[in-house]
Amino acid sequence: MKISVNWLKNYIELDLSTSELIDSMESIGLMVESWEEKDDDLIVDLETYANRPDTLGHLGIARELSVKLDLPLKEQSWPISEIGIETSDLIDIHISDENLCPRYTGIIVKDIQIGPSPDWLRRRIKAIGLNPINNVVDVSNYVLFSTAQPIHTFDLAKLEGGEIIVREAFKGERLISLEGNDISLTPEMLVIADKKKPVALAGIIGGEETAVSDSTTDIFIESACFDPVSIRKTAKKIGVQTDASYRFERGADISFLPQAAMMTASLLAQFGGKTTKSLVDVFPNPKNEKSVVLRHHRIKELLGLDIEEEFITRTIAMLGFSIDQQQQKIWQIKVPSFRIDIEREADIIEEIARFYGYDKIPLTLPPLKELEPGMDQERVRINELRQMMLHSGYDEVVNFSFNDPAKEMVLKSGKVPIPIRNPISTVTSLLRTTLIGGLLENVAWNINRGADRVHIFEVGKTYFSQGDNTHEEQTLAFVTTGFVGFEHWQKKRKKADFFHLKGTCEALMSQLGYESFSFKTKEVGFFEEEQALLLHLKGEKVGCLGMIKREILDAYSIKRTVWAAELNLSNLFQKQHQTFHFSPIGRFPSVSRDVSFIVDQDVRYQDIKQTVEKLSIPFLESFYLQDRFMGSPVPKGKVSLSFRFIFRHPGKTLLAEEADSYQTQIINALKTGFHFLLREEE
Amino acid sequence: MKDLKSKIEQYRKEFEEAVSEVRDSAALQKLRNLYLSRKKGYVAGLMDQLKTLPNEAKRDAGQLINTFKDHIQAELQKLQDTFQKQKKYVKAVDLTLPGTKCYWGAPHPLRVFQEKMEDIFLRMGFSIEDGPEIETDYYNFEALNFPPHHPARDDWDTLYINDDLLLRTHTSPVQIRVMEKKKPPIRIIIPGKVFRKETPDPTHAPMFFQMEGLVVDLGITFADLKGTLDFFLKAMFHNKIKIRFRPSFFPFTEPSAEVDISCTVCNGKKDDCRVCGGTGWVEILGAGMVDPQVLKNVNIDPEKYSGFAFGMGIDRTAMFEYQIPDMRLFYENDLRFIREFSRK
Ligand SMILES: [Zn+2]
Repeated sequence: MKISVNWLKNYIELDLSTSELIDSMESIGLMVESWEEKDDDLIVDLETYANRPDTLGHLGIARELSVKLDLPLKEQSWPISEIGIETSDLIDIHISDENLCPRYTGIIVKDIQIGPSPDWLRRRIKAIGLNPINNVVDVSNYVLFSTAQPIHTFDLAKLEGGEIIVREAFKGERLISLEGNDISLTPEMLVIADKKKPVALAGIIGGEETAVSDSTTDIFIESACFDPVSIRKTAKKIGVQTDASYRFERGADISFLPQAAMMTASLLAQFGGKTTKSLVDVFPNPKNEKSVVLRHHRIKELLGLDIEEEFITRTIAMLGFSIDQQQQKIWQIKVPSFRIDIEREADIIEEIARFYGYDKIPLTLPPLKELEPGMDQERVRINELRQMMLHSGYDEVVNFSFNDPAKEMVLKSGKVPIPIRNPISTVTSLLRTTLIGGLLENVAWNINRGADRVHIFEVGKTYFSQGDNTHEEQTLAFVTTGFVGFEHWQKKRKKADFFHLKGTCEALMSQLGYESFSFKTKEVGFFEEEQALLLHLKGEKVGCLGMIKREILDAYSIKRTVWAAELNLSNLFQKQHQTFHFSPIGRFPSVSRDVSFIVDQDVRYQDIKQTVEKLSIPFLESFYLQDRFMGSPVPKGKVSLSFRFIFRHPGKTLLAEEADSYQTQIINALKTGFHFLLREEE
Repeated sequence: MKDLKSKIEQYRKEFEEAVSEVRDSAALQKLRNLYLSRKKGYVAGLMDQLKTLPNEAKRDAGQLINTFKDHIQAELQKLQDTFQKQKKYVKAVDLTLPGTKCYWGAPHPLRVFQEKMEDIFLRMGFSIEDGPEIETDYYNFEALNFPPHHPARDDWDTLYINDDLLLRTHTSPVQIRVMEKKKPPIRIIIPGKVFRKETPDPTHAPMFFQMEGLVVDLGITFADLKGTLDFFLKAMFHNKIKIRFRPSFFPFTEPSAEVDISCTVCNGKKDDCRVCGGTGWVEILGAGMVDPQVLKNVNIDPEKYSGFAFGMGIDRTAMFEYQIPDMRLFYENDLRFIREFSRK
């Protein structure tokens, strides 16, 4: 909101440099967004607060500064020239619902000469960035930007039946606004009507028909207040925000309405206007002043600082509150009607702190009396997992949680996406059901910018609905394509492939303490047939991995092959993981045995592994696949597998014969289970 | 037996001579083979001869051979050690060639920054909390003292799922969720993802990260808020920065404050500073004492307990710290940008 410092000087004697003024304002929370010196004036643009409608005019700002600078507010008088006619002889006011319009005041100015405003007024209007229109419009703007009270003026001659009715619109009524818009009114909208028709949308915008024009001679001045929620709803519904509606939806000063009307009349009197006697004031249900009890000890309890009583009582009085000592250091404070934000003791304490200066409050630390012993486990695990991904050479990304419905269709995650009712664009109108879409966007972006490899991961939530419920799942996904590692003169670079991806999955699972995971071959939406695995843990699916389908890659304009994996961390973390235990290192030498088999090529490694594990050979420390090959001399349809088995006894040196017998057990089990042939037996 | 003895003597003599002439490892190896080779060495020959001796002579003869063998081994080892010490590597390869680089991934700058912030609060005994990103109107607004249809909601442009559900516009609803289930003392931070209905531009995004803090206990004061944030900001940026608290308004705090730090880019000396706009101050945080109504909403007696809360944008603060000019860089995920942070 623009504030002219010359205008402020109507209310307060200011004699400060620009920087002193800005510092004073900001120290009490009047935040200067920008300022500009122009036409011998200083214009400052202030941030506004939703709870302080009283500061939406120059008077309110002057009042704040008067307290800060300890300067008196200048009294203003608004002389009028009265005629003998009572306002109520010319117009009747009816309010249909006092909740929607608690007070309505009005006065009439007759025989006015419409024309350009005098220089002083034009200067004021221009200073705050508006265009002067004519003396009547400029005066109502002047009153609004002085006092924050919106004023509306009607051409009296055009109000039919000498009546003003504040009521809700009837179905089917319309209003052509001052701006020329044809507004279709609905019954919850509050209107100002004459005997026949709506003439203004209450508190928001006037109608064209009854607006003041060059031929106007008599004016009806409206100074009223309306229910903030009703104003806000109507303004939102018709998509209009005016200086008036902005103020009414924050709340008007109900006591000030007659003064604002009189101020308008007085200014219009300068253009030859004569004012009717005693304004009309419909105020069905005046409320008592709000009152708040302030206890001195609460100030220290809340601020951590003792403030002397003299400062408290003086500040409160200067802010326009009346203060009455009840007991020692306990005051009853009556709140002026313009301070709609003050309701509780804490609100008063803020006022005292604000003017005392936040900078004078000391620095202390809150005592630590109790500590949470455990960290949030999910968080700890996510951090472990992120570190593992970084160590494995994946870069971390963070994508928006939105997805494009078209992409969601191609991805086919199998989950029902949650639509956003008011998205910023169609491509961000769903919440993502998978992280893979975002990662593919990143792959495309980086390949288009010359990247020869993209290995990235993201940890974040995915969202879906199930019936009436929405769900959020903590998810990890990673994708890999292109070269692995840096280029180096000593060695050839490897390209990412399925096993690069799978290795990362396996490492993650065992590092997180889920050794009993397994893979199942199954078709998964994202992946090519026969190029996908499901990751299972204790009989439940916790993730999937594979080669992204060509049609999906096409949707993201990616020409490369991309492998991707996605893990449902919410599911995974619910599973009991093996906690870490130290096991003593073997002190006796191990015996290792290499065995090569010939076997049908569709025998799966995982099955072999599980068969060996199920044997529970007592001193089999570990075993692994050393080599795998097909082709001559291995017969067609067969594959040669070479394993190394390592045996170790914790308490003695294992004898060769013992190792031999374990080895035989393994060989026999594999022979029966999978028709293995030992290489030598061939 | 005599034969054997004199043979050993002869070998010993020959050995002493041969040893004195050995000049390099190759000659050393030759000599070793001559005497110690398992099949054709002189010592092996002696052993063969041993077998032909009568049993009663074997013991002494065996000892003689072993002494001789030990002597040779010791001499050869001595010589080898000498060569080892004198050994010089010849220039085989250009050692200025680049070494093998270890490839590790780069963390996202927002995560780096978030962890940096978290660490400071963990040092002060805070614990970390989070809550749902899809929130109800009650937790996101009403419980935080935003009445329905209040203009204060305009500052929190909201993405809605339906009339009741929305994407949380701040991490503050987690304050309510924590206070509902836990009684004071409460000392938490809440880092997390938040959403606003804002089109991306250099300083706005429809999704970003915030960190919220909440302390509720007996006797918590505004001075405690100031002290806590003073420590945090100095630990985060620099010991010498200036910190300014100025009055502000948030529906869920009373009194409320905004916190600025002195511009570390221009030190307040440049009128057209891109970061502070010449004011010398950069807005970092919103804060205040928890509004008594908010405490009442979670059944904490505001006459007995008090608390403070604060919140800041992780993106905005990271932009300031790293001098990143455009918020959209965080979400484009250009790896050239991300990998800059492999050094963080
Ligand atoms: Zn600066």
